[in-house]
Amino acid sequence: MSKNFVNYEKLSSDLNTLFSNPNEFADFEIEILDSTGKTTHNFSCNKSILSCRNDYFQALFRSKMKEFQESKVKFNDINGKSMEIILKYIYTGILEIDPENAIQTLIDSKKLLLEDPITIFLI
Amino acid sequence: MSRKMILRVPKFQEPKRMEKSEAQRLWLLLKDAIVEVQHMNASTLSFEELYRSSYSLVIAKRGDILYTGLEEVNNHHTKNLLDKIAQAVDERFLIELNSQWQQYKLQQIMIHDILMYLDRMYVKEPQLKVFDLGMFKWKQNVLIHSQINDRLVRMLLGLIHMERNGEVIDGALMKSLIQMYVDVSLKEKETYKQEFEERFLLATSHFYKSESNLFITNNSCGAYLKKVEIRLIEEEARIKQYLDESTGPKLIKACEDELIANHMQTMIEMETGCRTMIQNDRFNELKLMYRLFQRVENGLVHLKNEFAGYVRNEGHKIVNQPENLKDPNALITSLIEIRNRFEKTLSQSFANNRDFINSVNTAFESFLNENDKLSESLALFIDKKLRGGFKDSNDQEIDVIMNKVILLFRFLSDKDVFKKFYEHYLAKRLLSGRSFSEDLERTMISKFKQECGNQFTSKMEGMFTDMRLSKDALDGFKNYLQTSVEMGKLPKIDMSVRVLTQGFWPTFPPHSCTLPPLLSQYCDLFTKYYCHAHTGRRIIWQTNIGTAEVTFRLPKKTHVLALSTYQMLIMLLFNDAEKLSLKQMAAGTSISFMDIQRSVKPLYSGKYKVLKRTPAVEKSKELSENDIFELNLNLKCKLHRIKFAATSQTDSEPERQHTRQRVDEDRKIEIDAAIVRIMKSRKALIHNDLIVECTKQLSSRFVPQTSMIKKRIENLIEREYLERFPDDRRRYRYLA
Repeated sequence: MSKNFVNYEKLSSDLNTLFSNPNEFADFEIEILDSTGKTTHNFSCNKSILSCRNDYFQALFRSKMKEFQESKVKFNDINGKSMEIILKYIYTGILEIDPENAIQTLIDSKKLLLEDPITIFLI
Repeated sequence: MSRKMILRVPKFQEPKRMEKSEAQRLWLLLKDAIVEVQHMNASTLSFEELYRSSYSLVIAKRGDILYTGLEEVNNHHTKNLLDKIAQAVDERFLIELNSQWQQYKLQQIMIHDILMYLDRMYVKEPQLKVFDLGMFKWKQNVLIHSQINDRLVRMLLGLIHMERNGEVIDGALMKSLIQMYVDVSLKEKETYKQEFEERFLLATSHFYKSESNLFITNNSCGAYLKKVEIRLIEEEARIKQYLDESTGPKLIKACEDELIANHMQTMIEMETGCRTMIQNDRFNELKLMYRLFQRVENGLVHLKNEFAGYVRNEGHKIVNQPENLKDPNALITSLIEIRNRFEKTLSQSFANNRDFINSVNTAFESFLNENDKLSESLALFIDKKLRGGFKDSNDQEIDVIMNKVILLFRFLSDKDVFKKFYEHYLAKRLLSGRSFSEDLERTMISKFKQECGNQFTSKMEGMFTDMRLSKDALDGFKNYLQTSVEMGKLPKIDMSVRVLTQGFWPTFPPHSCTLPPLLSQYCDLFTKYYCHAHTGRRIIWQTNIGTAEVTFRLPKKTHVLALSTYQMLIMLLFNDAEKLSLKQMAAGTSISFMDIQRSVKPLYSGKYKVLKRTPAVEKSKELSENDIFELNLNLKCKLHRIKFAATSQTDSEPERQHTRQRVDEDRKIEIDAAIVRIMKSRKALIHNDLIVECTKQLSSRFVPQTSMIKKRIENLIEREYLERFPDDRRRYRYLA
């Protein structure tokens, strides 16, 4: 059997860099609106990462509807802080739970079909 | 256990109960979108909005509205599609069906994507998942509809039939449509199996049944085999091209049944079939047959039995051919030839299959033991080879022949008979100095040793030792003669003696004769010398197997006659007499009348006649004791040295009988030993078990007859090695 060299930590931290400092390769925008319709957060992301890590985004891209055409999705029912936690998890595999925001993050991540954190929450 | 994280939980707000009208609004929004998707106008819709709507319905516990609504929309849509598709005529039907199906599948993926939250959180068994629901509606309303299903299957099977007849069809279309049956199957491909596969397999069997029947009656077996092979390759390709892989084994089985299994008997028996192929060494065709028969149950058994039967038959012919019965050399040569031939068939056609090899071996065993000639013939064959038959062969060829001999030997059930004959001829070779090479003799023996162990060859090896020791003894004797005082008084003759250890050599029937005084004195001197050198040994003179050279002086010429000892004695009598009757010869030499007869025959009836019968009687072969002989002084022969056969035949019937008798004697001893060995370890045994065990132990040397074992048991009981149990006469007990 071949022995593999594994370094998940580096993988995770590199992806974190990609998420925190979006560069020209970012090809998709996630906009968070508050109840009045004002933009509160804006995330630049990579379609390939979103679609391979999350079923919601995969379905969104696959259906080739408006969001796909415009390369942008707007959420008005998701908390900006939650979205950041969720995206960070999608990129890096690390879930940084903020106790203040935990329940909201749970609700939002469930809507976006983020299976893993729910399991983690429920343990 | 890990410590549970403590969360500060804000007051949890139960989502507001959704008004029915709000739910209805959301559903209508989704319904419109689904209809748009079904019309392939999805690009302007907002995924986020649609997903959010379905999400809202589900968390407000209104999933039921959505699910039942979806079911209705699908129902409606598929029914519309049915009409459209059913209207298409001829080839358009398949194309229309396929294009609608491809679109429908994409739509269902899209609908599933929008309703993903419903699918994950709401749908529970036995409800179908969103995508499966779409598949189910297609199946229910389109595929298995009476206007579609039968028509589709018939067209698909028609196309496959065309392709089997050599036409080109659209493989991609086939694949897509056949895959549809798999896609709409909810579990274990049940729709595919029920609606398509079953009928396809039936059609396949039907097609190949009629094709194979027709083809095999109009073509040779070889051509048929090739056809079958091609058909099987085609079907394998068909599986890959457009069938579901689960059909593979079933399809191939159906083909094999029709193409191979149903025609095996024909392929074996038909005029151009298996028998002819074996007869004519058609290795490639047989190889193909082997490969194909291998695929069906019991296929190889048929082929193997046929082959083994042929081998047995050929072998039977050879061992019973009158010419072969007279000529051991021809017999063994033919046997080696067919063995080579069948080995070639085995390796070239039958992949050296173990079962085939075994059954050929069994066939050899059976015909080689059909008559009891073989042991002797084999021994004679080797005898001839070792007397010089190997002269023109190189080492490798010799090795090949020897190995074949061993192979045939292996099949003999009465190896002990062979052994006796082999020893007999070996002894003759050694004593008459006719062995071509001691190295080859030893190689042959070492092969027997490898095959049967030390015990088998110990006597043969003993003979060689005797030959060597005899030479030493003779040298010693010559030295002794030179220093001996008596020597001065005796005329010098060149005498050679071989000392044979009793037991190593075949026991030659004891014969007595009177040696001329001079020889007799020499013999006494040798006995004296030898017994002095080896105290405790006794010498018995075996004059009947010796040879002698006698000077034959004719008026004009002198010849040297190479004779047997007996012939020498007879010839010497003529020094003192002109004419002698056989009776007188017997009296003068003390040789038995029968030996006189046999010895005299070569002297007067061979090519060179040193004796003549008086009066000359033609054609009367039988000699009577009153027949009178005199020296033939008119002998005309250019050779100086004339060699005579010791007896008129190579081996006389009595001699052969004698060998047989000795085999029987030896067998008694072997059986006795086996019985005692078995009983000693088992202490008590039932009669039948003892017979079985005994036969098993002896099988490497010979196959004992049950009656003989029984006699030996009786004998051992008499000799108090065994006794019967008083309460059970069938059981024996060993008496220590």
